[in-house]
Amino acid sequence: MAVLVKKVELSLLDRSYVWPIAKGMVITLRHFLKQITTPTNKRFTIQYPDMKKPMPAGYRGLHELKRFEDGAIKCVACFMCQEACPARCISIEAEEFSELNFTQGFEEKRPSVFKIDMLRCIYCGMCEEACPKDAIWLRGEYELAAYDRLSLNYGKWDLMNTYAGLDGKLQVGPAQESPATASRPVSA
Amino acid sequence: METLAHLTGMSVVTIWTLLKVLLVFGFIMAVAPPYTWVERRGSAMMQDRIGPNRALLFGKWQILGLGHALADGIKFFFKEDIVPPHATKRLFWLAPLLAFVPALMGFAIIPFGRSFVYQGSMYHLSLLDPGNGMGMLYPLAIGAVAVYGILVAAWSSNNKWSILGGMRSSAQMVSYEIGLSLAVIAVFMKVGGYDPADIIKDQMAVGWFVWRQPLGFLVFFTCMFAESNRLPFDFAEGEAEIVAGFHTEFGSMKFGLLGLAEYAHMITASGLITTLYFGGWSVPFMPDAPVLLTILAFMVKLLFFMWVFVWVRWTLPRFRYDQLMFLGWKVMLPLSMANLIFNAWLMSRGG
Ligand code: SF4
Ligand code: SF4
Repeated sequence: MAVLVKKVELSLLDRSYVWPIAKGMVITLRHFLKQITTPTNKRFTIQYPDMKKPMPAGYRGLHELKRFEDGAIKCVACFMCQEACPARCISIEAEEFSELNFTQGFEEKRPSVFKIDMLRCIYCGMCEEACPKDAIWLRGEYELAAYDRLSLNYGKWDLMNTYAGLDGKLQVGPAQESPATASRPVSA
Repeated sequence: METLAHLTGMSVVTIWTLLKVLLVFGFIMAVAPPYTWVERRGSAMMQDRIGPNRALLFGKWQILGLGHALADGIKFFFKEDIVPPHATKRLFWLAPLLAFVPALMGFAIIPFGRSFVYQGSMYHLSLLDPGNGMGMLYPLAIGAVAVYGILVAAWSSNNKWSILGGMRSSAQMVSYEIGLSLAVIAVFMKVGGYDPADIIKDQMAVGWFVWRQPLGFLVFFTCMFAESNRLPFDFAEGEAEIVAGFHTEFGSMKFGLLGLAEYAHMITASGLITTLYFGGWSVPFMPDAPVLLTILAFMVKLLFFMWVFVWVRWTLPRFRYDQLMFLGWKVMLPLSMANLIFNAWLMSRGG
């Protein structure tokens, strides 16, 4: 079926050039005045390095290794995330520590090395799904760039501290979706 | 001023003229870079964008992106100045000047304030004193020379795109010049002379020519866009079809001069429109305004028309080349002729 193109009949006024041009100029002037009177933070453009858009809840950015309230790492080095990772970018080395410090409670294992190669990570969130201890989360930080490959090999403390304040507890960073970390269960 | 004349051993007239030259050309040179800024930021605002604002002055102050005009200038000066091996060298060097100088020169005739008497001698606020016999014919002639700037730039680059752009724009400028001249002749006829001082005096006495000859104004205004190679008539360039057109081969400050020439041309064109159709420096309802007020009035009108140039550019799409020629020869020329004949008829009836 042929498409019938309706022929537009221009009125004499519209064919005179002058009137439509005047109309168009009024439109551009309106846009100009509207944009120039809008304060910068209300405009459509987000001026990136100065202004940032808050990431939505559930955004999968840089990982965080969660801590207990007293700052101890939640991860028990069970290697579930390493197994689940489709990109094979997590490498964990476990250590035993209950002997060393009895105040640290029931866990006997914790990672001594916990590395994620951010260049290989695809931010799929499988590690977060797999973790039985809810110890690894993907959060809102997305500015992952560096001048060499090695510095994108994030270690345990990078992952623990990126979203934490100086005291190691305060939650800072773009995404605040995480509830306060549950206090560690008291064991017998 | 007498002391200065005495000190330098020059006559007062010479010093006054030198002062005016510095003032006028300095003004145009000083206004052109901010004008590019107005163009870029203004266009951005019209399109709901932000526009260039990241250039920081000394790495610190982001004054609304004004640093970009400065950065452009610095960049132009420090870029390598390449003359392509296949170019005609001498003309290639001459072309930016040929484009820039006529654009500046046109402004010389435009009076930017009321003439005043100081200590018994008359001072005129225009580079060329009234009664020099050239009058408004001078900017028209100079405007015609501006074609050479573009054509020489195009021809000397020895590049197909450049030549295409140069040919197109020279054809356009020549064909619009006829409509332009006829529109201006109607003004000359009414005034009975072509001295800008007479034209302004007549407008102060009877009324601005926009109201008296709206058709003539329309033609003149449109032709001015074509003359200064402005959108919607920017056929000298055209990214989509002929790369950058006439300045494809130009780099560094030569390119900067060609760009400045366009802006200088727009400033001169605004001055012409103001003088011919908007009463020049005259202040409405104030027949003998003080000199400073007249300068201010001229500035306001000039800046307004400079803004209109930007405004129109970002409102209208470009014409196609045949549409441009159609508009020039079959619309503008008959319109300005009709305007001329109508005004002649009115005058023959004693109007
Ligand atoms: S987000 Fe996916 S790819 Fe990245 S570390 Fe976790 S499981 Fe591996
Ligand atoms: S982050 Fe979770 S899944 Fe990975 S080793 Fe630690 S406790 Fe196990």
